[in-house]
Amino acid sequence: MNMKKISLSILSLGLLVFLAPAQSAKAQSATDTLAPQVTTLRDKISGVEERLATAEGSLDKLTKIKLSGYIQAQWQHFEAANVFPSNYVTIRRARFKLQYEPAKGVALVLQPDFQPSNFVIKEAYARINEPWLKTFSLWVGKFNRLNYEVEYSSSDLEALERSRIITTLYPGEYAIGAKLEVTPPSIPLKFQLALFNGNDGQVIPDATGVNQNAADNKDFDNYKDLMGRLTYAFKLGRWGGLTLGAHGYYGRVRATTDTLLKSDYTKDKAVGIGSALSRNWAGVEAQLFIDVLGGLVLKGEYIMGVNAFPGFNSTVTSSPVFTQSINATKDTVTQTYTVSKTTSIAPNIRRNFSGFYVYLVKNIGKRNQFTIRYDKFDPNSKLGGGDLGIKAYKAGSTKTTTDKNIIGAAGNVLVTKNVNTTVVNNSLTSGTADLAYSQISLCWSYYFDDNIKISLNYDIPMNEKVGTAGKVMSGSYAAPGGIASKYDYSNLIKQNILTLRLQAKF
Amino acid sequence: MKRSNKIKTIAGVILLAVIAFAFMAAPKKITVKGSDTLVILAQKWAEVYMKSHPEVAIQVTGGGSGTGISALINGATDICNASRPMKQSEIDKLKERYGSLGVEIRCAKDGITVYLNESNPVKELSIKQLSGIYSGKIKNWKEVGGPDEAIKLYGRENSSGTYVFFQENVVKGDYAASCQTLPGTAAVVNAVKNDKYGIGYGGAAYSKGVKQCLVKKDDKTPAYTPSAETIKNGTYPISRYLYMYLRNRPTGEMKNYIDWILGPEGQKLVVDQGYFPVR
Repeated sequence: MNMKKISLSILSLGLLVFLAPAQSAKAQSATDTLAPQVTTLRDKISGVEERLATAEGSLDKLTKIKLSGYIQAQWQHFEAANVFPSNYVTIRRARFKLQYEPAKGVALVLQPDFQPSNFVIKEAYARINEPWLKTFSLWVGKFNRLNYEVEYSSSDLEALERSRIITTLYPGEYAIGAKLEVTPPSIPLKFQLALFNGNDGQVIPDATGVNQNAADNKDFDNYKDLMGRLTYAFKLGRWGGLTLGAHGYYGRVRATTDTLLKSDYTKDKAVGIGSALSRNWAGVEAQLFIDVLGGLVLKGEYIMGVNAFPGFNSTVTSSPVFTQSINATKDTVTQTYTVSKTTSIAPNIRRNFSGFYVYLVKNIGKRNQFTIRYDKFDPNSKLGGGDLGIKAYKAGSTKTTTDKNIIGAAGNVLVTKNVNTTVVNNSLTSGTADLAYSQISLCWSYYFDDNIKISLNYDIPMNEKVGTAGKVMSGSYAAPGGIASKYDYSNLIKQNILTLRLQAKF
Repeated sequence: MKRSNKIKTIAGVILLAVIAFAFMAAPKKITVKGSDTLVILAQKWAEVYMKSHPEVAIQVTGGGSGTGISALINGATDICNASRPMKQSEIDKLKERYGSLGVEIRCAKDGITVYLNESNPVKELSIKQLSGIYSGKIKNWKEVGGPDEAIKLYGRENSSGTYVFFQENVVKGDYAASCQTLPGTAAVVNAVKNDKYGIGYGGAAYSKGVKQCLVKKDDKTPAYTPSAETIKNGTYPISRYLYMYLRNRPTGEMKNYIDWILGPEGQKLVVDQGYFPVR
């Protein structure tokens, strides 16, 4: 047995000794053949790596640019008698947002709104985030005013459009200014403080109805408006969360005439032209998020304060009118150039106002969302419906003075220039500007996918009924048959709007 | 019909529609997307659960925590796996879209492991040294007791929760530009396995074929390796929870699946796959 094992071992050893050099030579030959191929492959990989590094460099630059936007196209049907055509398709918004981050914590944002007949820069700002505490950020340019519904993206609005009080106080949503935002990373608190020009989107009509505040890109006066907002988000365990907040507005606008009226249309005091009229208000907000078979949101805001509306003081000068009179008895000729200057004056007024909105939003699954909103805005909370059309400021009578100047005399010819100056003091009567409105909005949205949303919305606005004695009427409109007609606000005017909107977002 | 009656009718119809939709049966297909750290475990959970519940189809994909959270917000997934908590901005998006703050479920724990090549003589590193290495201040192994060779950094892409967690808790600043980003922890492990002077980080469950570096909080404390014990007692300095996020509180089959994950069977799989249980 042992001999057998020994014989096998010797045989194996012999084979190994015999075969080993052959195997070694074979391996060496294979290595020699593969070596150039490995070198070639290594060079190729190095080349690919180099190209990849270049491509990554270019790609890194592209990742600094973020593009987003949305288009809202809608068909609307208006039940109001003064709207013609009563139904049409429009492009409500066509936004394109470009964000470029040249360095970490720095962002430049530009958001134009394209419409078939209009192009507006809605947003244009630079934002710098402080890198150490990651808490503070500074914004300069044109950005959203500090309010919950204003800052809520128009593409996410559950009732398609913002509440009446918000669109009145913050027309166009965006304003030019500078903002400091404090958002500590570990605390669900947000504090914002901003300084704005303060009159973005405000319409301040003159005697002919032309907006005195038409220069959107600069201020109407030297006064700047201060705005602040603070919110804190509480968690309600596994049920959801509650966010509470408040915002305040401290603003001023210049007086354009020397009279200031109170909410009840009585004279408050004499003010200097150019002096400051207060625009101060404060609001409280709450958003409750509850998880009951899908997200359920109950949210609202109440705002009250005083808003000022400058009057107007505008003068129209007519072209000189030439007249000539001959006095045959005295043998003299009098040539007269008459210039008429008409100055229209309307008083400034400040109105106490209040308003609120409440939303109930229910999400069903991933795709369906139902919303009911009730909002109310009373632009003059000191006057009831029965006061409208009655409370009024009676201005003094119209006065005309003539200034006669002899501007030349030659022989028996006398040349004079007469300047007729007429001052029209406009009275101001309470009316449609003081009319309170409430509105119910019902909306169903279907999220077809991440990009497409279809919404069906029905708005039911309800005007405050004024007393029959006040006779508050709207401007004329062509009723069916071409007969000029007016709304009588002692009735509830039918002004409901049905909207079917398609939104594509990217 | 009077206006008030009309409004009441419309409100009534909407309310009925809401109730009808609310009680519609939940689908039995569940999609899961997100953290690459969790993907192995999530796939195992799905595989085992589907065996005992053949009527349920569970589809699991990775892509990173950020990708998963985006998918949760845009409705592309039912469950998001994440290796970091959701940011306030992400919760805000969820609130705007679904009226919900989302539901956070802690489903496992993980120790972020620092991978070294088997041949690397360095055995332990402090958090400060790791910060120096990944921020690019320490460039050579000899500065931390190793050979005189340049350190090669491997890490994750910025959509990864592990990337964010490691940055916030270890690097505490920006990553060095030389850090090579790779798509997934498995790719990081593979890179370190093939690079003698490489260093990487990722979930403990992936550390096969590489050396786990011991980590110490500072120079005065001992160094630890991630284990069930060191993670439970908090001595391993880079441990974290792993999360599942849902849009709303789970109902139906989704609830059964989540309950099963948090139950003994699901948590046993956590341990089997190299993670650490939450219970």
